[in-house]
Amino acid sequence: MVAIPVGELRPQARTSPGQHWLTDLLASLPPSDIAPLASRQRQAREALAAVPLPSRRQETWRFTDAAAIPLIPAHPLEAPSAPIALPAPQPGVLRLVLDGRRDPLAGLTLPAGLERLAPAELEPLLGGSLAANGAAGTWPVLLNGALATPVLALRVGLALPTVLELVSDTGAATGVLGLRVLLVLEAGASLEVLEVHRARGASLTSVVVEARLGPNARLRHGLLAQGQAPQPGSIEPAGSAPAAPVLLHHLAVVQDPASELELIAAVSGFGLARLEPLVVQSSGAAFTRLRGLQRVDGSQVADTHSRVLFAGPDGRLDQVHKALADGAGRSVFNGAVIVPREAQRTDAAQLSRSLLLSDRARIDTKPELEIVADDVRCAHGATVSRLQQDELFYLQSRGIAADQAARLLLRGFCEEVLADLPAPASLWRPLQALMGEDPLR
Amino acid sequence: MPAAPMTSAATVGDLVSQPYRYGFVTDIETEKIAKGLSEDVVRLISSKKEEPAFLLDFRLRAYRQWLQMEEPDWAAIGHPPIDYQNIIYYAAPKQQAKKASLDEVDPKLLETFEKLGIPLSEQKRLSNVAVDAVFDSVSIATTYKEKLAEHGVIFCSISEAVKDHAELIERYLGTVVPSNDNYFAALNSAVFSDGSFVFIPKGVACPMDLSTYFRINSGDTGQFERTLIVAEAGASVSYLEGCTAPMFDTNQLHAAVVELVTLEDASIKYSTVQNWYAGDENGVGGIYNFVTKRGQCRGDRSHISWTQVETGSAITWKYPSCVLQGADSIGEFYSVALTNNRQQADTGTKMIHVGPRTRSTIVSKGISAGHSSNSYRGLVQIGPKAVGARNYSQCDSMLIGDQAAANTYPYIRSQQPDARIEHEASTCRMSADQLFYLQSRGIGFEEAVSMMVSGFCRDVFNQLPMEFAAEADKLLALKLEGSVG
Amino acid sequence: MIRSDAPVLLEIRDLRASVEEQPILKGVSLTIRAGEIHAVMGRNGSGKSTLSKVLAGHPAYRVIGGSVLYRGEDLLALEPEQRARIGLFLGFQYPVEIPGVSNLEFLRVATNARRQQQGHDELDTFAFEDLVHERLKVVQMDPAFLERSVNEGFSGGEKKRNEILQMALLEPLVAILDETDSGLDIDALRIVAGGVNHLASADNATLLITHYQRLLDVITPDYVHVMAAGRILRTGGKELALELEESGYDWVDAEIERLEATLAPGIALEVG
Repeated sequence: MVAIPVGELRPQARTSPGQHWLTDLLASLPPSDIAPLASRQRQAREALAAVPLPSRRQETWRFTDAAAIPLIPAHPLEAPSAPIALPAPQPGVLRLVLDGRRDPLAGLTLPAGLERLAPAELEPLLGGSLAANGAAGTWPVLLNGALATPVLALRVGLALPTVLELVSDTGAATGVLGLRVLLVLEAGASLEVLEVHRARGASLTSVVVEARLGPNARLRHGLLAQGQAPQPGSIEPAGSAPAAPVLLHHLAVVQDPASELELIAAVSGFGLARLEPLVVQSSGAAFTRLRGLQRVDGSQVADTHSRVLFAGPDGRLDQVHKALADGAGRSVFNGAVIVPREAQRTDAAQLSRSLLLSDRARIDTKPELEIVADDVRCAHGATVSRLQQDELFYLQSRGIAADQAARLLLRGFCEEVLADLPAPASLWRPLQALMGEDPLR
Repeated sequence: MPAAPMTSAATVGDLVSQPYRYGFVTDIETEKIAKGLSEDVVRLISSKKEEPAFLLDFRLRAYRQWLQMEEPDWAAIGHPPIDYQNIIYYAAPKQQAKKASLDEVDPKLLETFEKLGIPLSEQKRLSNVAVDAVFDSVSIATTYKEKLAEHGVIFCSISEAVKDHAELIERYLGTVVPSNDNYFAALNSAVFSDGSFVFIPKGVACPMDLSTYFRINSGDTGQFERTLIVAEAGASVSYLEGCTAPMFDTNQLHAAVVELVTLEDASIKYSTVQNWYAGDENGVGGIYNFVTKRGQCRGDRSHISWTQVETGSAITWKYPSCVLQGADSIGEFYSVALTNNRQQADTGTKMIHVGPRTRSTIVSKGISAGHSSNSYRGLVQIGPKAVGARNYSQCDSMLIGDQAAANTYPYIRSQQPDARIEHEASTCRMSADQLFYLQSRGIGFEEAVSMMVSGFCRDVFNQLPMEFAAEADKLLALKLEGSVG
Repeated sequence: MIRSDAPVLLEIRDLRASVEEQPILKGVSLTIRAGEIHAVMGRNGSGKSTLSKVLAGHPAYRVIGGSVLYRGEDLLALEPEQRARIGLFLGFQYPVEIPGVSNLEFLRVATNARRQQQGHDELDTFAFEDLVHERLKVVQMDPAFLERSVNEGFSGGEKKRNEILQMALLEPLVAILDETDSGLDIDALRIVAGGVNHLASADNATLLITHYQRLLDVITPDYVHVMAAGRILRTGGKELALELEESGYDWVDAEIERLEATLAPGIALEVG
């Protein structure tokens, strides 16, 4: 092989459109000055410059076309021209609006048992759950770290009766938004969270939520990712489709023994949505329940890469992931379950069910089971098909029209997951949003 | 006070893994070419085998492609780098050209195969199986050739086929596994030495099972055999492959290519019991088994079935696959992979559904013991035209002891809504308590292990020809001695 | 049925055993003759289940002293399967599930191993099916259970019936039934006990290991032994069980304390 002088190699690597995009984005970011995280931001920005943008050459992005990322205008999210109208929160809900600019807690009195972490407490905790899940150095996490974002860091000390609603809605605005949340649940505490991310412009929303669950703590975490295709004909040159919104979401959790995590995620409408729920049971003996539902249509890509690691014995996992692929959409599910030697008596079940609804849609699923303990129960299953003919026929034989019967079955398929969302989720009409038929928007 | 012997705990340890039964070396004069690989070596192999020009071209093209390729490193496998210049690419026992009659074959060779349980002589040969015996780089004998010829069935070494049936070789060789398919397939295409060729003409059901037995004898020789099986329209055949190698403390490379072609309504059943030397309990020595096996169901309603029992080799990389082109064609993969000590196996299948209403079944049983690592890696791909395609996969792992790893990576890719894919997987273990329960009912330790293993593997063993199934059962129990308890 | 001239089947002398270096049996002696039914009672942790496991040869238990003669032969020198073949049977408290291994095949292989030992011909599949269907009646078991994997997905009661079915097939000379009554409702208990009574004869012996009187209401023991802290504290007739039922195990604690005090030097020696 002919050696290429280093001087020639570097500019070549830089010429890829992705790296251009990144260079532009980094240049557009305000200087790192948000204490106490300024140095972390600088590190993330430096590290990011050395890590290539996600591409299908990387094993973890092999099935996922990340081309939508560099189509987002490379600057921080522009301020909305008018305030975004959100439906009024339901009673018993504490809503925090995250826009990457304002402190969502400003002027609020927090309910008993919920408090903001002081900067000195935050510093040693931030990034810990990501590191424990082996995700600290991945591109989406570095990107999040590089964006100038205040961290919403909360500690829960008891069973909180209030549902915490974390909402971001970028509306039709363009640009890149980074949101960072840290939740610490002390021993015996419990919390219900509903995270809602909405977008319909050429925006990229980067979210990293870290959670630490102390012994006997319980976290029920709903996630609604409701994207919408941009309205055509506004600012783009004629003939080119407007860039669709992108969501990159990490939820990294460390669970102590006897804690319970329940994650219910419903994703739709983004040009690219990548969800990475990552869980470590630090000493095993915890319970993790994961429910995922994603729908793609048009040319959308939705990808869930989950990973659950049992770092001790007697852990349990109950995971169901569902996908609907319509239009020319692509749905990807990669579910890793890792059971090392010390994780004896682990009981893990993973089920992936996908419905392929169109000739042009594609579904890729890849469970990954890695087991080194012998006294374990690990079952996984996957199915890919369209709606079952016999089920359709049964409904039709009762006088229901074929298309209505199909809709009913699809709803049933989705409701199995959506029914588990925290109750205030109904405000956001999760089923209608998922099916792309929300009349409110 | 003398401690009373307390059964299994002590005795299992004493039984320990039985020594590898096939570890002997035959002392025979061998003609070897010098170590190393170059274009000249490829030409030398071709000329030694007196090959036609098209085959030399095929080899040279493959060699040039190989030079451009990089050794893959994506599987969950670790091994020290292979020095391809430190391998001998051709070794043959010194007897001139293949003999017309078995009487002329060196008795040492006949003795070797007899020791391996494959008697070749007229009197002793297996009554219902025709055998092609391959020793290092050459085929030394093929039984029942004449009887098969009466039915129009061709069963011979690939070297003979190149001379006697050049047009068939030219038509089919490299059409299922192209020479640039992957690193090891390219290497094989450049230097393949011998292997078997089977041709079942239109409408013929092969009157007996066919079998090739591969024996590596030399310590520094790579084995690069090539097998090609063609079943014409309406033809059918059941083919068995067996393999062993002596124990050396170095690693030998085995990079075979197997190509199967079925035309309309044809069927090929391909069974393997792989028992290459696996290295010792510390992982020293053993075969690197990097093979490419693929079948193409070209004709409508054709059928290819792979059954494998993988017990040997230090490292196995093997994904016998089916490309289901013909409408209503069927692909099957039944596999038992057992790893013990420091063995690493990464095996599975690819079912590529191209044609409409194609169906595939995957049943994989992995047994991991000792410090070994056993991975199932599979791909089920449903193309846009595969309307009504069906796949069912089942991957079960049995773990023995808490030092062994079992990994499962079942990829599913579908582009066809009117297709149905189902995958199930489970893990279980063989525990000392289960064995004690069986023992406490009067069932001996070995039989207890064997009952549990064959219970776990039943779905696969049912696919094996009868005499192979019993053999496989025993083989697995033998391999597991000393690993439970 | 007690006959002083009946042959001795099992002779346990000063048996001591440990599990994971923890001594559990601290000197158990017991003689069982043909025709007798013995019951060993005691609280959890008294060592009664350990006794049954040691007799059957479970690899997790280590014999550190004493002897066991089975019809004059050194039982402890034998593999578990050999013990079973010469007629020792352990009915497990928690029979394990063995997926993939057919119950019918398991029963056949076990029965033939015992028959071979006795010098009988092995039964072919047909002859065995006849035998097993006949023996199913002893425990009123549904033949469908033969088609399933060994104990897999069986309810607690079904597992226990499967144990007694095995006993009916193997025709042991000494049957040890470890907490056979646990987890059984009253009907199942009656069926299982009926099976045990049916199989008891003048030539064989039964050792019941139990916590409660209720099993002894349906199977009448000739001897009752009370076990605690790894020893047999007291032996009596069936009335001893009734006494325990009434007065509970409290007196046992006092006895143990007294015993520990007198045996203290011996224990120190043993530990040293």
